[in-house]
Amino acid sequence: MAENLIPNVKDIAKAADTLSPIDLKKILPLPPPYDKDDPAALWKELTEQRRSEVDASLDGVSALSLRRPADPAEERRLLEGLKQGLKKLLSRDDNWTFLQQLELTLDHCTHCQTCADACPIFVTSGRNEVYRPSFRADVLRRLVAGHGSGANFIKAALVGRIELNWETFARLAELSYRCTLCRRCCQACPIGVDNGLVTHELRKLFSQELGIAAREAHADGSVLQLKAGSSTGMSPEVVKDNIDFIDEEMSEKAGFEVKTPWDVEGADVLLMHNAGEILAWPENPGAFAIIMQKAGIKWTLSSELVAYDAINYGLWYDDVQFSRVALKHAEIAKKLKVKKIIIGECGHAHKALSVVADRILLGDSNVPRESFAPFMADIVESGAIRLDPSRNDFPVTLHDPCNLSRAMGIVEPPRRILRKIAPRFREMTPHGVDNYCCGGGSGFAIMSGNNFANWRMLVSGRIKVKQILDAFAGELDASIPKYICTPCSNCKGQFRDLIRGYDMFERSRIMYGGLVELIVNAMADVRPGFLEWEFH
Amino acid sequence: MTLVSVWVAVALAGFFLGCLYKAVRYATMPMHVRWELYPVAHEKGKVAYGGSYFEDLDWWTKPRHVSKFGEFKTIAEEVLTLKQVHENNPPLWLPSLLFHYGLYLLFALGGVLLVGAVPGVRELPGMWRLGGGTLLGVWAGAGLVLGTLGCLGLLVRRLSNPALKNASTPADFLHLWLLLAVFVTSLASLAIADRQLAVAAAFVHGLVTFKPHAALPLVFVPQVVLLGVFLAYLPWSHMTHFFAKYFTWHSVRWDDAPNVGGTTYAAKAQKQLMRPVSWSAPHIKGDGKKTWADVATKRGDS
Repeated sequence: MAENLIPNVKDIAKAADTLSPIDLKKILPLPPPYDKDDPAALWKELTEQRRSEVDASLDGVSALSLRRPADPAEERRLLEGLKQGLKKLLSRDDNWTFLQQLELTLDHCTHCQTCADACPIFVTSGRNEVYRPSFRADVLRRLVAGHGSGANFIKAALVGRIELNWETFARLAELSYRCTLCRRCCQACPIGVDNGLVTHELRKLFSQELGIAAREAHADGSVLQLKAGSSTGMSPEVVKDNIDFIDEEMSEKAGFEVKTPWDVEGADVLLMHNAGEILAWPENPGAFAIIMQKAGIKWTLSSELVAYDAINYGLWYDDVQFSRVALKHAEIAKKLKVKKIIIGECGHAHKALSVVADRILLGDSNVPRESFAPFMADIVESGAIRLDPSRNDFPVTLHDPCNLSRAMGIVEPPRRILRKIAPRFREMTPHGVDNYCCGGGSGFAIMSGNNFANWRMLVSGRIKVKQILDAFAGELDASIPKYICTPCSNCKGQFRDLIRGYDMFERSRIMYGGLVELIVNAMADVRPGFLEWEFH
Repeated sequence: MTLVSVWVAVALAGFFLGCLYKAVRYATMPMHVRWELYPVAHEKGKVAYGGSYFEDLDWWTKPRHVSKFGEFKTIAEEVLTLKQVHENNPPLWLPSLLFHYGLYLLFALGGVLLVGAVPGVRELPGMWRLGGGTLLGVWAGAGLVLGTLGCLGLLVRRLSNPALKNASTPADFLHLWLLLAVFVTSLASLAIADRQLAVAAAFVHGLVTFKPHAALPLVFVPQVVLLGVFLAYLPWSHMTHFFAKYFTWHSVRWDDAPNVGGTTYAAKAQKQLMRPVSWSAPHIKGDGKKTWADVATKRGDS
């Protein structure tokens, strides 16, 4: 693909097998001893057979498993749908939720590229042009100028023309799943142009107009959550059984009986977990239960459909699905008459319910929502639980989930806790609101079809691997256990894959887990050894 | 030369009306959902590390500490030092700084000439200088030199850096070439025929008093014609970021005001939720009649 060394925005319409393939030679290097690893070991080319079935013509990766239209009539329908979607994106009725942000962004990019190096995906890929933050935004700008509301010849000439064909359609849909919505680009922009928002809006267009979305986020995500109660598929009965099982295990580990309360009307706190924790990392809801109980909190979980799963995948791709889930969450809290909702260790659930949903929760549905972080910081600092920080005498670093830090400004509370319980805590660089995304943001951590999981490890998550290795520099020997504190389910899923992919547990004994697990590991009233140092 | 005056008057009117139209358009857009990005400049005591009120236990029970000075400081820092460009795009910083300082000086000069052209103003003590003089000439020269250097620097950078060139649109080049033409013709006029800016002051006076200046030197004409083109075009370009930044920062990035008692968000949201939806995907089936409230309370099984 030598002719595509620097694809131009207009090339998105070009007939080519792969517009801008992953160049393994340019991938971000890692520090020793991981510098000798061959990136190719993490990469997987799609087979010819698979390439003939799904569109991977953007970069050789397929997140959506899009299939080429069966006939010209279907192609025309899809392209017409895209045109209609462009108009709706700029409509006050159909997109009041994000219209101001979107128009400001579409109108004001000067293409100065001040945002480019802020993007971990662009940098890690070795500056693959299609991952440049302004690239997908410019495709949208050109499509709007040529095909959106008020499209005209002059506008199209000024921003540049673009052909609307199947290639443009398929590549743009895929391109909307090559950005984690971390919004570092927007942070860097002197004007406030938000290329992360463009990704969000593109996903929305494809989902809300054409029904095209990542299966994991939509059919197996928000649709399942609204229908069955949780994207995990757990019914209320199953979730209660699972929590009973966790309580038993926690009682055994803690050395005293742990009991999770359900549906307590008028409780001070309704705790909402990402239900994925219950299945994948049961020690997290277990640790919450231990702390709540020991601190004497009057708390409850809800067994109502949707309420026992704090996730809201619509945040990443669909305003309608987002609203449906957010309203359910609020409605159930109101029904239980709780004083506040505490959102567990799930970054996107924080942003969804605390920030984005805030202004659509009306009247007494607007139950106060709080992050687990200040809540736990208060418990730890108030002396409500007895602590023995010497139990956490191993290197610990903190991953700031984007949705807690950059999207909500929750930076200090986890650090206040870590300073109390982790004597060998050290920061990653950069951290706080300047952190890098784990590479699994905006739903990527749950997406692994075709070769997307490989892309996520090799491209979107690699800079985080570098940060971790840098944070533990000099202590990478496998004899020293090390802990990445990552208070977010989605990030945890990504760390699990990164640690496995880069073999960091076997080689360097780097483990990951939440913040509450680390607190419980330091609780003097709990049997020592809450953390098991087994990779899962 | 009446035609030139008419053209500039029309262009100026277009500039002001175009900017006003765009600003009003942004200001009257429907209430959007929150989409703030930290650091938020008005978070008193927390902005240094990007913290927010969400860090406080029971934050909704506590008074918010909003620092308008914090916002002013951040904006001033950005306008005066182009901080973000300096930190994130160092090679572009110097040309960009020169370019912007040139524009700051020239727009300020334009404002001064307009004020000085208002009947009676030049008769006020000391204001006779607004009719032309060494100060105005040096002011214009400084602005034009800085602007020209900056413009050339930005053009060279855009043309010589393959990635930047590749990512630029026709409009990005058009703006720079057009401004360079304005700067160069203005420098020529300043050097050849209007060192004290007396002609420019008289020209603006003619515009404001509707008595066009009759005898303009020929070398003066190209700059004002081009300036007119630039001013008329500016509101329809990304250069409106000089005021749009207020919205991108203040109304989006820093808009963290919570929907709590005493605010008007709930009433505004009620209105938005009554808007019709026409998104066509199977899980929505918007028909232009169903409202957001309707679709948001349905399950959507596909």
